[in-house]
Amino acid sequence: MYFYQDPQFGERMITLMAAFVLVLQIAMVGQRWLVTNIRVFAAQSFLLACIANTIAYYNHAPHIYIAAALTFLVKVVFVPILMERLVAKIDIRQEIEPLINVPVSILIAGGLTMVGYVVAESFYHPKEGISPGTLGHNTLAVAISLFLIGFFMMINRRKALTQVLALLSLENGLFLAAISLTYGMPLVVEIGVFFDLLVATMVMGILVYRIRETFDSMDVSQLRRLRG
Amino acid sequence: MLLLSLLVVTLLAAGAALAARRRSTMEGINLGAAVLTLMLAVTLAASVLRSGPARAAGGLLFADALSALVVLLVSFVYLACAVYAIGYFRDDEKSGVFDQASGESAIAGKLRKYYSLTPLFVCSMLLVALANNLGIMWVALEGTTLASVFLVTFYARPTSLEAAWKYAIIGGVGLSMGLFGTILTYYSASLVMGTETLGGLNWSELVTKAGQFDRTTMRLAFIFILMGYGTKAGIAPMHTWKPDVYSEAPVPVAAMLAAALLNCALYGLLRFFILTSRCLGPEFASNLLIVFGLLSMGVAVPFILVQRSFRRLLAYSSIDHGGIMVLGLAFGGPLGALGMLLHMTFHSVTKPLLFFCAGNVQQHLKTDQFRRAKGGLIHAMPITGALFLMTTLAVTGSPPFSLFQSEFTILRAGFEGRYYLPVVLFVGFLVTIFAGFLVHIARLVLGPDPGTPPAETCAWKKCSLVGLAVVIVVLGFWLPAPLYALVQSAARIVREVQ
Repeated sequence: MYFYQDPQFGERMITLMAAFVLVLQIAMVGQRWLVTNIRVFAAQSFLLACIANTIAYYNHAPHIYIAAALTFLVKVVFVPILMERLVAKIDIRQEIEPLINVPVSILIAGGLTMVGYVVAESFYHPKEGISPGTLGHNTLAVAISLFLIGFFMMINRRKALTQVLALLSLENGLFLAAISLTYGMPLVVEIGVFFDLLVATMVMGILVYRIRETFDSMDVSQLRRLRG
Repeated sequence: MLLLSLLVVTLLAAGAALAARRRSTMEGINLGAAVLTLMLAVTLAASVLRSGPARAAGGLLFADALSALVVLLVSFVYLACAVYAIGYFRDDEKSGVFDQASGESAIAGKLRKYYSLTPLFVCSMLLVALANNLGIMWVALEGTTLASVFLVTFYARPTSLEAAWKYAIIGGVGLSMGLFGTILTYYSASLVMGTETLGGLNWSELVTKAGQFDRTTMRLAFIFILMGYGTKAGIAPMHTWKPDVYSEAPVPVAAMLAAALLNCALYGLLRFFILTSRCLGPEFASNLLIVFGLLSMGVAVPFILVQRSFRRLLAYSSIDHGGIMVLGLAFGGPLGALGMLLHMTFHSVTKPLLFFCAGNVQQHLKTDQFRRAKGGLIHAMPITGALFLMTTLAVTGSPPFSLFQSEFTILRAGFEGRYYLPVVLFVGFLVTIFAGFLVHIARLVLGPDPGTPPAETCAWKKCSLVGLAVVIVVLGFWLPAPLYALVQSAARIVREVQ
């Protein structure tokens, strides 16, 4: 038996990659440049696809390979290319201007990670044997942290495009939660979710473009005419 | 077959409208699709009543009385809006609301956008109601947002872009919570049913085993679902997108959002409510829903009282009605679910007319601000004015109109469940909203003639207005037995669990 066929090894690899996913998410919170942010997102999605592949390999679940391939195509290739082209097209200033400064933001992200671990604890039933939840203990904590940090990023950012990025990274957290808790959703659902994600990115891309054209800015805090 | 054809008809209509060149062709396609959809929906309701739940596409599609009711309401609103839209957009064109510089082809392009996206929007709403798999239901609900974003930006004003952005972002965040809730439900079910089954998220199977689900997970799942689908339904405090979107979207779109999409979002919530009640007993979900329902009604009160725009007024009324339905569900008992579904039915019939009247007034006055309207509208627009006043009375739940009956049923459910404080607040909010709403609209419609020239209302608009008014009045006095049977058996699906 080769060393890579050992399930223990697989689990460690998954935990390692999940840790990197979390690191990248926090890097995204601290990152100042828009294009770098898009690339960090692509790298994070790539790791996610790797995690999905690993889980598919060790659990002999072929439908997860498809989910992994979709993740790669949509989130690593298509969405980042679309966004970078959008950034080039609308010619905006590169810097992200968060509302809360970077050190404090990273501290908050750290706090949210702890919350993620506390919440994930309630799903951990070691005595139940090989239910999917046991594999996902660490991974689920990472997934919930991604979800929470994604929320925080949505609030913390002013530019329309960066809000879309935050929403996508939040979605990454959901994907991680789904594969670590239940080895992915049923395949039809998975395909539907990716389709929605793709269309949503395009719709929001068009909206961002038109907001930029109309308001000559992407700062969503300028969108404040509708009140009451 | 029936289930599939409902979806196919709307999809085909979207494709055909995309290919059409002339305006009258597009209008015809949309109207034809709406008529056909309503006929299919009635057939579906009849067959569900006669021979129980229907399935199609290998168990992916499933329709029981609850789905049939929602499908029926969605297609009814679709037809009403399809008729009204013809007159509305013709008047829009006549008054030059579209960019003057853009010319003939640009106007046709805009209309093509409306006539192709609307059937898509309806198709995804129908899929919400017909999907058996709760994951597909989520996908369809997200699809409703995506299909309607560009309907909201129809006029391409800066304000409508702002509204669409809020709609897309708040809807996106909300639905991501809904997805998390769906994943958690799947997880808590997978401990019982295993993960590899294709039907692992199929509602028809989940509901039979809901009693054995993991309780902690289910609790968390319902909270996420409530936040997520509550956002889509515009339940406070996740309602902030609603006034902006309802006031910026073209009137037929706003009417569909308010009268049809609201039902779909609540339908999603209802499915999970049933699972949660089976797993945890009704108290947990009910208590949460009471808080959110009362909050929605309460939030609507001050904004209705001091409202300056009659389009936004309608949005707050919709938030209020969302709250009423949620409260009906929460009160439970033999009457709660019945009251909620009756309210849903009556609300879907009444709300479009209110929007259409507001739309006529807005097109005539070229503003939606009360301040700029001088009152006495009934002299310039006798039909619209009179119906506006009548629908206002109907929608605020005054007798003899049907919403009074459903609100009264919910009230009785509240007393039977011994929820005294919520019931007192419920009545208080209802009365205040009634007063505020009526004062605003009466001031707008009644009064001395300000001397504005009489408005011409085109035949299509009159047709939809008068048709809806007849339905509303008739429903106030006579509820057809088959419709009541459908509502009752839908309520039984909800109630069996409690």
